[in-house]
This record gives sequence, C-alpha cells and structure tokens, in this order.
Amino acid sequence: MAISDNLVEQGALISVYGLKKYYNKGKIKALDGVDAEIYPGEVVVVIGPSGSGKSTFLRSLNLLEPPTEGTIVFDGVEITDRHCDINLHRQKMGMVFQHFNLFPHKTILENMTIAPMHVKHMSKKEAEEKAHELLKRVGLDDRWNAYPIQLSGGQKQRVAIVRALMMEPQVMLFDEPTSALDPEMVGEVLEVMKELARGGMTMVVVTHEMGFAKEVGSRVHFMESGRLIEEGSPEKMFEYPESPRLQDFLSKILL
Amino acid sequence: MSISAEGFEKVLRYAELFKQGMICTVSISALTVFFGFFLALLLAIMRLSKVGVFKLIAATYVEVIRATPMLVQLFIVYLVVFSGIQLPDITLFGFIKFDRFFPGVVALALNSGAYTSEIIRAGIQSIDIGQTEAARSLGLTQFQNMRLIVLPQAIKNILPAIGNEFVTIIKESSICYTIGVQEIMYGVKAAQSATFIIAEPLLIAAALYFVLTFPTSKLIGYFERRMRRGDIR
Repeated sequence: MAISDNLVEQGALISVYGLKKYYNKGKIKALDGVDAEIYPGEVVVVIGPSGSGKSTFLRSLNLLEPPTEGTIVFDGVEITDRHCDINLHRQKMGMVFQHFNLFPHKTILENMTIAPMHVKHMSKKEAEEKAHELLKRVGLDDRWNAYPIQLSGGQKQRVAIVRALMMEPQVMLFDEPTSALDPEMVGEVLEVMKELARGGMTMVVVTHEMGFAKEVGSRVHFMESGRLIEEGSPEKMFEYPESPRLQDFLSKILL
Repeated sequence: MSISAEGFEKVLRYAELFKQGMICTVSISALTVFFGFFLALLLAIMRLSKVGVFKLIAATYVEVIRATPMLVQLFIVYLVVFSGIQLPDITLFGFIKFDRFFPGVVALALNSGAYTSEIIRAGIQSIDIGQTEAARSLGLTQFQNMRLIVLPQAIKNILPAIGNEFVTIIKESSICYTIGVQEIMYGVKAAQSATFIIAEPLLIAAALYFVLTFPTSKLIGYFERRMRRGDIR
C-alpha cells in the first residue's frame, strides 16, 4: 500500500486510512471515512458529542470492531489485512474500558498475570513479580489478593490500566476511562494516566475530561457524525476552534 | 393395596438386585452426564459460532431431540442404530451387560446433551461482552478466552441448572429398564415377579432414587456457594 508505506516512513505508529464502519447494511454510518495518524510518544485525545463515532474509532484500532472498509497500519503491519494474525498485534495495544472489564472470577493478581502467562508464556513467578511491581506503582499492591468486586471503581480502573501494561504495549487505548466513575474517583485514575503520559507512553484517549486533554494532550481530535472534523494542539482546538461544529460543541461543554 | 413389614422382608431377600440396580443407575448417570456435557458444550459453541452450517446443524439437532419422546429415542438407538453394531460381550462389575448398558448411555447422553446445550448457551450469552473484549484486547485467542474467561464464569452461573439436569438424568435413567439394563427399576420388576409383591419394591426404588438425587443437589449447592467466593465483598 503506497499510502501506508508513506506514513510508516514518517514514523507513525498507527496510520488509519479511509476507515468506515457501517451497521444495518449501511443505514448507520458509525465511521464514515476517517484518516488519522498516531505518532510514538504522543497523547491523542479524541473528543466529540455522543454518537460521533469516537469510541467506534478507538475500538477499530485493535479490531474489536472490525471495520467495514479502510486500512489500519500498526507498527508497519497492515492489521486490517485478512491474513494478519490479529492476536499477535492486539497484545501490543493495551486497552482500557469504560466499565473496567476486570475478570470477576480472578483475583487482582490473576487478572494481571493471565495474559502474560498464556499469551507470552511468561513464568508464573516472573509474571507475579512484574504484577506486584506495577501494583505498587498505582498504590494497590496491598490488594493483590482481593477480587475485583471488593475494589472501588477508581481502584478497578487503576488495576485495568496496569493489567494492560503487563503486556508492555506500544500504545494504550482508553475508551472513556473515567465516565463510569464517581466524581471523587476520577482524579486518581487521571493521575495514573498522566504519569503514563509523562513516561512517554503513546496514548489514544476518548474522554470528556477536557482538563486532561489540555494538560497532557499533544493533539486533540474532534469527531462528529463518524468523521474527523478538526484536529490540532489543545491550545488551538480549545482557544481557536475553526469549524462551527467544534465551536458549537465547545460552547456546550465549556461552561 | 397392602404394605406390610412382611412384604418388605420378603422383597429384601432380593436386596442384591437393588444394590446392583443402584450401582448400575449411578454408573449410567455418571457416564451420561460426562458425555452429555461434552456434547452439550460442542453444540452450544456450534450454535454460537459465526458459521451458518454449524448453527443450523446444532439448532436442528436440539429441536429434534426436544420434540421427540425419550422412549422413542432410546428404542431407535438400541434397536436401530446398535442393531448392526456388534458390541463386545462383556459385563461390568460382574453383572451389567455392556451390550445393553452402552446403548442406554448413548441414548441418554444424546438426549441430555441437547437440553444441556441450551443451558450452556444461555450461560455463555449471560456473560458480559466486555469480558471477551478485555480478554481479546490482551491478546488471548478466541479459544483461550472461552476456556479461561467466559466458560468459568458461565459454568458458575449455570451450575444450579446443570445440577438439576444431573438429577433429572438419575431419574430418567429408569427408562433404560425397557431395554433390559439392570438399573433400579429392573430390580423392581425382578423382585415383583419373584415375590408377586407390587408395592414394596416400588417404595424401595423411590427411596433409593431419593438417596441418590437429594445428596447430589446438596453437593451442587455446596460447590455453587464455594464458587461464589469472587462475589463476596
């Protein structure tokens, strides 16, 4: 593919070209032709009204939503190719969900070690050491033997983040990570994400936390009706929005 | 109708028949549960697969089994399917005739598999799709996701229903006496024809079935509580 080769040469970690996702035989266009690049080390924050396709976009990046059309190149490999072994590439993309999706029948430690042990064939001892180390980093090592239901929402999401980090991903995808949290728990999760961003992790974050976007975002994508309408630095996007739709969106949320 | 201590005394001279019947009923049920479960798992996964042919085969099978009587299925398996198959002339535990016992197990397992597959299917579908998404996003394969994430949770949810199915099989295995499998009801018939006593053997049989099924459901309840560990705050 000429276009994707080009983008890889420029150093993009993920290149998206003409991404479309239709439901009901094209009646619903969740994604209607999205082009985007994610470069190593940057934090791309995707904003937009609900139903704009931002979650679908994020979930397409690791093919949780197989796109109807379009190309995604990740780390030099066209993962939308039918012959591509997606399991191999998914482990290099960590994902954090709105509803945490911890495994309720596993302890916190088991939640973290299951993928490294079964996918990477890491030894149990090694995986557990690594898990304890990561849990310490988010201040939850004392809860390693608890079950997810015994944790608060904020704690669950912090575990979900380090669970994804166990696979040492090249990029972390966040799908509204704070939307299901009680307000007082949002801060602790954002703190972990900021820490991660400062450490140089490549991140794509779908969120309504404009404060987070301003503080750690290297670029902001504004989506509406399944399209990427406008993109730019947080300053440009929030201070000098160009498109009327972004201006309209910002006027509704930044009060 | 007369029930007397005397009657029981006479019937209990044939206690050996009931003991054998119990061994046979337990063996036939255990094997049915075992094979039926794997058949059910296969059917459930076929039914949930994206391949249309698998779906159709599994759905048709389940509907046919559920829409026909067990007795008819048993006779078809024993008199039709196994009529042309020479089974080894062996006896299990020194008294169970394998050439009758085995078709009995096959018929029961084929039947139970259909019912259990619906239970398993519902169980798998009851697990939040987010679990699969999380597992797949971590790089687990579809098979690993089923084995490590979805099925353990699904089985916990459906354990009471599976337990009921096990209990049902213990009771329904009594139908196998019609093809000459020496389970509990076969013992009843034998004792009745030897003593001309009707009621007491039946009461003994009822008691024996109760002794088998009641602890089974209690045991399932125990495991169910144990598996709920993860739900306790």
